[in-house]
Amino acid sequence: MKRLLILIGKIIVKILNLLGRNAGNLPGIILWHLSGQKCCSIFKVDCPVIAVTGTNGKTSVTNCIAQLFEKSGKKIIINREGNNLDTGICSLLLRHCDMSGRVKADYLILETDESHVPVVYSQIKLETLVVLNFFRDQLDRNGEMETLIQKINGFCKTFDGNLILNGDDPNTARLGRANPKNKKVKYFHAEPYAFATTDIFEASEGRFCPFCSETLEYEYYQYSHIGKFICRGCGFGDYKPYVTASKIDLDKPVFMADGHKYSPKLNSIYNVYNMTAVASVSKLYRIKQSITDSVISTYTVNNGRMETFMLGDRKTTLNLAKNPVGANMTLRVMNEMKGEKELLFVLNDNVADGLDVSWIWDINFSIFERVTRVITSGTRAYDIAVRIKCSGYDSSKIVVRPDLDEAVSELAVTEGRKFVIANYTAVQPTRQALRRYSENGGKHDEN
Amino acid sequence: MKIKILHMYADMLDLYGDSGNMEIIKYRCGKRGIECIIDKYSVGDDMPYFPEYDLVYIGGGADLEQQHISADLLKCRQGIKKAYKSGTFLFLICGGYQLMGKYYRDADGNEIKGLGLFDYFTIAPSSRKKRCIGNIVIKTEITGKPVKVVGFENHGGQTQGVKNPFGTVLYGNGNCSKSSAEGYFEKNVIATYLHGPMLAKNPEISDYMISYCINRKSDRLIKLARLDDKLEKECRKVMIERLLNK
Repeated sequence: MKRLLILIGKIIVKILNLLGRNAGNLPGIILWHLSGQKCCSIFKVDCPVIAVTGTNGKTSVTNCIAQLFEKSGKKIIINREGNNLDTGICSLLLRHCDMSGRVKADYLILETDESHVPVVYSQIKLETLVVLNFFRDQLDRNGEMETLIQKINGFCKTFDGNLILNGDDPNTARLGRANPKNKKVKYFHAEPYAFATTDIFEASEGRFCPFCSETLEYEYYQYSHIGKFICRGCGFGDYKPYVTASKIDLDKPVFMADGHKYSPKLNSIYNVYNMTAVASVSKLYRIKQSITDSVISTYTVNNGRMETFMLGDRKTTLNLAKNPVGANMTLRVMNEMKGEKELLFVLNDNVADGLDVSWIWDINFSIFERVTRVITSGTRAYDIAVRIKCSGYDSSKIVVRPDLDEAVSELAVTEGRKFVIANYTAVQPTRQALRRYSENGGKHDEN
Repeated sequence: MKIKILHMYADMLDLYGDSGNMEIIKYRCGKRGIECIIDKYSVGDDMPYFPEYDLVYIGGGADLEQQHISADLLKCRQGIKKAYKSGTFLFLICGGYQLMGKYYRDADGNEIKGLGLFDYFTIAPSSRKKRCIGNIVIKTEITGKPVKVVGFENHGGQTQGVKNPFGTVLYGNGNCSKSSAEGYFEKNVIATYLHGPMLAKNPEISDYMISYCINRKSDRLIKLARLDDKLEKECRKVMIERLLNK
């Protein structure tokens, strides 16, 4: 039966390829139905599997871990396209298995959607699970956050592999207690950076100890609810870190981890946490230090995560924000920059965004400094306009342009520095609109 | 002019931008020169004197947070009841709405006692997957004119025994799965499942409450100054056209 399913799957992939289509998710969806919803169980995977999950940073961390092994000369399989549900992983493995379903690689490195961790890894044996963080994100798809954590916690109760956890996120660190018999639980941690605060700055989750309900005490918050916490009731949060990031200086940017100095390309505290997770995997698998150095110091992204565009001579920075934490970080970066600037906020509410847009009310817009104009766009352009208005920003400086090309043209009318924030499904269309403008706009200027 | 608001459990019950409702009321008061004081109360704080407030606000939370506060809320029962009887406005969203009824029975059959201020009760279906989730449009006439109110609902609990709903459902679920009634209303109570935050696109509802609060102790009718609500109304129009005129 399994062989038959593999055959069917391979034929579907072939047909899609012949049609010139990318075999992203569809073969997996078909096999999901044919296999009684266990589409990952048809494969034979003998190599170690490393999975990365969490709300923010999955793609970055997965790619960096893949590089660690690639540069060590290993053959790896990775879901680079971000197909991170069971069906997407099934489609990926179909392309890399033989007719008996055997997957040939040294390591399988899989970005995995939070809600699909138990689904996929009840079917494929997992060696290492990296959990980055849990934030409010697409709550309406996943049900409540607590339900989501419970799901992964349920999986961790019987998981005896390596568990690498963000020790500064109580939502994540609690997974370390799920299976008391598992001795392979490791926490990564970061010392305070220059903008860490002693009071909480943004709306967030996880204010109470999940074990004894005491209020968690924080020595400092890095951003949102990420920081050094401890429960005075039961001692939750008192652990010895496996890897600690210290001497973080985002101006350079540099940080130390486990005694080594790293000079990453990206200057956000997010990236420091992501790279500390990468350094933990590197330590666990005894990757050569020179390889880890080169991965961490060269990693950069050009997928709408702090990506730069030029609108004529106006420098424009685009950042993806799927949730308030991401948006607040961009606003901070924007504020920390001197001089006047304008903001374009593109907000969509497509299915993948999670239909509901109320998370924009958890963004702290009252910190706006030297923002001279705001343009809003996307399918929920008016929602974000109302939100910014009610934070006290002068409504006469808000321009609503639901059409993206019109919004970009409007943004380019004036001189000066520009920032663009776009949510999940908005980010690619926004990149295209910015590119269209800089290409056409450039020509127009010459004429 | 001044209104005093007590925002209860702001640190725990804040789902889908519920705290935004307070920001909106404060904004709309500020634009009119009405002083708006918002005090906060949460678990373990000194018991406030509820009747001194013009409005008491409680938002919604995840199940875990709701369990955390329910015992504390019961301690406030006498105070809240006294305030409600003396005309304090109760503005309740989702969990806040449920806990003012007789009881809330969760998916496992555990019963959380409500304050019993009102006769309705809420039962969550045994399957956690059965939730009422999505955009919702209701029609209400509480301001004297029909107003379409747009929000976002996400609740498992099915609220029954509501005598006087806040509005009728034009799109979405309401009090129960695919029901026609949404929320609960009295002249000084708005209880609803609408998040979003609810007041973002519905300035008439904010103004109904603000107007109630400043008039409740006044001998003559104070009319609210009109504000420029172009963005809010356009925002609502876009959603209504999308959801109702398909």
